[in-house]
Amino acid sequence: MPWYLRRIVAALVLVWVVASIVFLAIRLVPGDPAELLLSQGGVAPDPAAVAELHNQLGLDRPLLTQYFSNFGHLLVGDLGRSLQDGAPVGGEIATRLPRTLELIIAAAIIAVVLGIPSGMLAGLRPRGLIDDLGAVLSAFALAVPVFVLGTLLVLIFAQHLHWVPAGGYVPFAQDPIRHLGLVAMPALTIGIGLAAVVFRMTRTAVLDVSQQDFIRTARAKGLGPVRILLHHVLRNALMPVVTVLALHLGTLLGGTVLVEYVFNYPGLSGLLVAAVNARDYPEVQGVVLVISILFVLLNLAVDLLYAVLDPRVSAA
Amino acid sequence: MRQVRRGPIVAVAVIAALALAVPILPLADPLHMDVANHLAAPSLSHPLGLDEFGRDVLSRLLWGARTSLLVAAASASLACIFGVVLGLAGGYLRGVTELLAVRSMDIVLCFPPLLLALLIVTLLGPGTGTLIPLLAVLYLPGFVRVVNAGVLSVRGRDYVEAMRALGARPTLIMARTILPNIAGPVLVQLSLAAASAIVLESGLSFLGLGVVPPAPSWGLMIGAARSTMAQAPVLLLWPCAALCMTIYAMNTLCDALRDAVDPHAEPDRLWRRREMPPQPSSPVPSGNAVLDVRNMSIEIATPLGVIHPVRDVSFSLRAGETLAIVGESGSGKSLTALALLGLLPPAAHVAKGSAWLQGHNLLRLTDERFRRVRGGVLTMIFQDPQSSLNPVHRIGAQIAEAMRAHFSVARQEAKEEVEELLTRVGFPDAKRHARAYPHQLSGGMRQRAMIAMAIANDPRLLIADEPTTALDVTIQAQVLDLLAELRKELRMGLVFITHSLPVVAEIADRVLVMYAGEVVEQGPVRELFAAPLHPYTIALLRSAPHDDGGLPEGIPGAVPSPHDMPPGCVFAPRCEVRQPACEKHPPPLVEASPGRATRCLRWRELA
Repeated sequence: MPWYLRRIVAALVLVWVVASIVFLAIRLVPGDPAELLLSQGGVAPDPAAVAELHNQLGLDRPLLTQYFSNFGHLLVGDLGRSLQDGAPVGGEIATRLPRTLELIIAAAIIAVVLGIPSGMLAGLRPRGLIDDLGAVLSAFALAVPVFVLGTLLVLIFAQHLHWVPAGGYVPFAQDPIRHLGLVAMPALTIGIGLAAVVFRMTRTAVLDVSQQDFIRTARAKGLGPVRILLHHVLRNALMPVVTVLALHLGTLLGGTVLVEYVFNYPGLSGLLVAAVNARDYPEVQGVVLVISILFVLLNLAVDLLYAVLDPRVSAA
Repeated sequence: MRQVRRGPIVAVAVIAALALAVPILPLADPLHMDVANHLAAPSLSHPLGLDEFGRDVLSRLLWGARTSLLVAAASASLACIFGVVLGLAGGYLRGVTELLAVRSMDIVLCFPPLLLALLIVTLLGPGTGTLIPLLAVLYLPGFVRVVNAGVLSVRGRDYVEAMRALGARPTLIMARTILPNIAGPVLVQLSLAAASAIVLESGLSFLGLGVVPPAPSWGLMIGAARSTMAQAPVLLLWPCAALCMTIYAMNTLCDALRDAVDPHAEPDRLWRRREMPPQPSSPVPSGNAVLDVRNMSIEIATPLGVIHPVRDVSFSLRAGETLAIVGESGSGKSLTALALLGLLPPAAHVAKGSAWLQGHNLLRLTDERFRRVRGGVLTMIFQDPQSSLNPVHRIGAQIAEAMRAHFSVARQEAKEEVEELLTRVGFPDAKRHARAYPHQLSGGMRQRAMIAMAIANDPRLLIADEPTTALDVTIQAQVLDLLAELRKELRMGLVFITHSLPVVAEIADRVLVMYAGEVVEQGPVRELFAAPLHPYTIALLRSAPHDDGGLPEGIPGAVPSPHDMPPGCVFAPRCEVRQPACEKHPPPLVEASPGRATRCLRWRELA
C-alpha cells in the first residue's frame, strides 16, 4: 500500500474512534437532556412527558442500537437535528464553521508574516539586535493568555480610542469594511501568540540549517547570500516550521472558544458551549465530529505537504 | 545536566512562597463584601481598592495566586506521577502493556486540548475538583511519551543489560538506572505542564467553567472586571499583570531547565569572514604557479585562549600538478583548505600570510570578489557527499546552479551542459540522474555529482578534502581515477587532502606532510617515499599497510593539544631520535635539496 493511502486509512480509523468516544462519553455522563429540555424555572418536569420525549428521540432504545443507527446516519452525512429547536445540526455548523476558519486563517497569516521574516533574520545573526528584540517580544507574547490580550485590546482600542467596535460579527456581503474590522481584532489576538511560536521555530531552524554541510557547499559554489538564504536555508528550515504551525492551527480548531467569547464572535466554539450546556447530544456530537475530522485532515495535509517539501519522505 | 540559571528559579520561588504565606499575611477576608463601597478607590486599608462586590482586591489577588498555583502544581504532579509509571511500564515491559499505556495516549492527542477541557468541564460541572484531574489527563500523554522515549533509549545500554544479567528485578533496574537518566526531560515536562495549567485554569475560570465563584481566581477576577471595564478599568490591570508575570516566570523557568538539560552552544556569527589584520603588502609572486601560499597562519579564539591550529604554511602548485597534503586529524590540513576558500568556521580566521591565485591574494579579497572566485576558478569537494548535497533539490539543479552563479546560461543550455558533465564524471544515464535527489544515489554517485559541480566552470584549482574517506574501498579507486583523469584533461591544479599514504602514492606528484599545524616535510612523492627526511614522515610510512604483508606500526603518543604546544619541535615528544636541542627551539624548515624541505634538525643523519 502506498504510504499516503496508509495515512488516509489511519486518519479514517482515528475519526471513527473519536466519534465513538464522543458518542459514549456524552451518554454515560450524568444529566438527562429530556429533563433539561422540559424543566422550566426549576420545576421538575412531568415524568410522562419525559418518557414521551425519550421515545421520540430514541433515547429509550439500547445503547448499541442507538450507536448503530447513529453511525448509519453519519455515514450518509446526516448529523441529525438539534434537540433545542429541531433545526438540522449540519446547517448550523455550515454557517458557523467558515467564520471560525476565517479567524484561524487570518491568525495564521498574521503569524507567518510577523514570525517568519523576523525569525529568519534572528537565526542568521544569533544574539544580534533582531534576535534580542525578538526574544524579548516573543517571551512577552507567550506570557499573555489570549483572553487577557483580547480583553486588553478591547479596553484600549474599543473602549478608549473608539477605533473599532468591541466585538460582534457582520457578514462580508453586508458590509465588507466592518466585517474585516470585526475579524481583525480576534485574529490579531490569536495571531500574536502564534507569531511568537513561529518566530522561535524559524529562528532555531534557520540557525540549525545554516550550519549544515550543504550550506558550505552552496557557498563554495559562489552563490550570493540571498540565493543561499532563500533557496537553500529557508527551503530546508520551513519544514519544521510548517509542522509546528499546522499543529497549532489544529489545536485552534477547538481553541477559539476564549477569543470568540471575548469578542462576542458567533463561531463554532460558541455553538459547542451552548450545545454542551443544553445536553444537546446531536449538536455536541456534530460539532466535535466536524472539528476532529478537520483536525485529522489538517494533519493529513501536513503529511502530504511535507512530502512535497522534502523529497526524502515519500521514499521512506 | 548543567547548572540551571538562577533568575527564573528565584522568581518562581518568590511567587510560590507568597502563595503559601497568604493565610498568615495580614490580609482582608477575600470573601467579605462591602457592597455599599463597591469599586472604591485604593485607600490605606484597601491598597488596591474594592471590586464590584466591595471585596478587597489585593487580598483576592494573593488568594488567587494560591488557587492558580495549587491547580497547576496538583495537576502537573498528578500527570507526572501517572505518566512516569505508565511510561516506565510501557517502555520496559513492552507488548500489550506498551500498547495500553503508551499508544492509548494518542487518543487524548486527537482532541484539541481546550475542546476536550470544555467537554469534560461542562459534563462534570466546574470547580477545582474537576479541574485538577482534567488538566492531569491533558498533560499525561506528554509525560508518557518523554518517559517512554527515555526508557527505550536507555534499556538497551550495556549497564542495564549487565544488571539484568546479574538478576536484578525490573523495578530495581528502573529505579536505579532508568529514572536518573530521564529525570532531566521529565523535569522540563513538569515545568511545561505547570505553566500550561496556569493558562488553562485561568482561561476556563474566565469562561465561568473553572474555579467556582466566589472563590478568588485570576481568571474569574478578569472576567468580572471586564464587565465593569467602563467604570473601573484599573481593576482589569491587576489580575492581568499578576497572571502574565506568573506565566512569564514559569516560561523562563521552562527555558532555563531545557537549556540545562539539553545544552547547545550557538555560534556568534555565521558566514562572516573576519578581516585579516593589516600587514606589509606582499609582492605578487612571479613564476608559473597556479597557487602560491606563503606563511599562512590561522587563529581560533577559544574559551581557553587563542590557539594557532595552522602556523606559517607555505606551498605552491603548478597547473596540472597534484599536491597531496597529508597528516593526522588535527594537523590543520582541512583548515588550510577552508581558509583558501574563505570558508573557515566562524570562530577561526587567517592571522597572516598570503595566497595568490591568478593575481588575486585570496586572503585579502572582499566577500563579493571572493564569491566570484569560489566555484569559478577555485572549487572544492568535501569529505561527506551525503551531507554536502542539499537534500531537497535535484542533482541536476544543484549543478546548474553552480554554473549560473558565474555565467549567464540559458535554462535549456544549462540542462544540456549538466547532462554532459554527468556523463563525463561517469553517470550511465545522465538524463535520468539529473532529475534524481541526493538520497536516491549511492555514496560514490553522490561524490561524482559533487565532482561534476566542482568542474562545471573549468576551474584552475580544485581542492579535494578527503573525497574518498566516506566511500567503500572499491569505489575509492574509481573516484581517484576520475579525479586524476579530469586533472589531466582540464590541466587544473589539484590539492588533495588525505590521511592515507597509499592514496598519496597513487595520485600525487608532490607531498606536503603536516603535523600539529606545521609543514614538517615536503617534496616530490617518489623521493619522499623512498628517502623521508623527517622522523614523522618515517613513522607515518611505517604506520601504513605494507605491500609485502608486514604489519603496520602505530606511532606512540598523541598529537599535542593546541593549548599546550611543546616549546621546541612539535614532534619531539613522540620522536625516536630526539636530542636535547630539539626540545629547546622550534626548528626551521630547511631546504634539503631543490624542491625538498624538512623541519628536522637531524635530517642529514636520517638521509
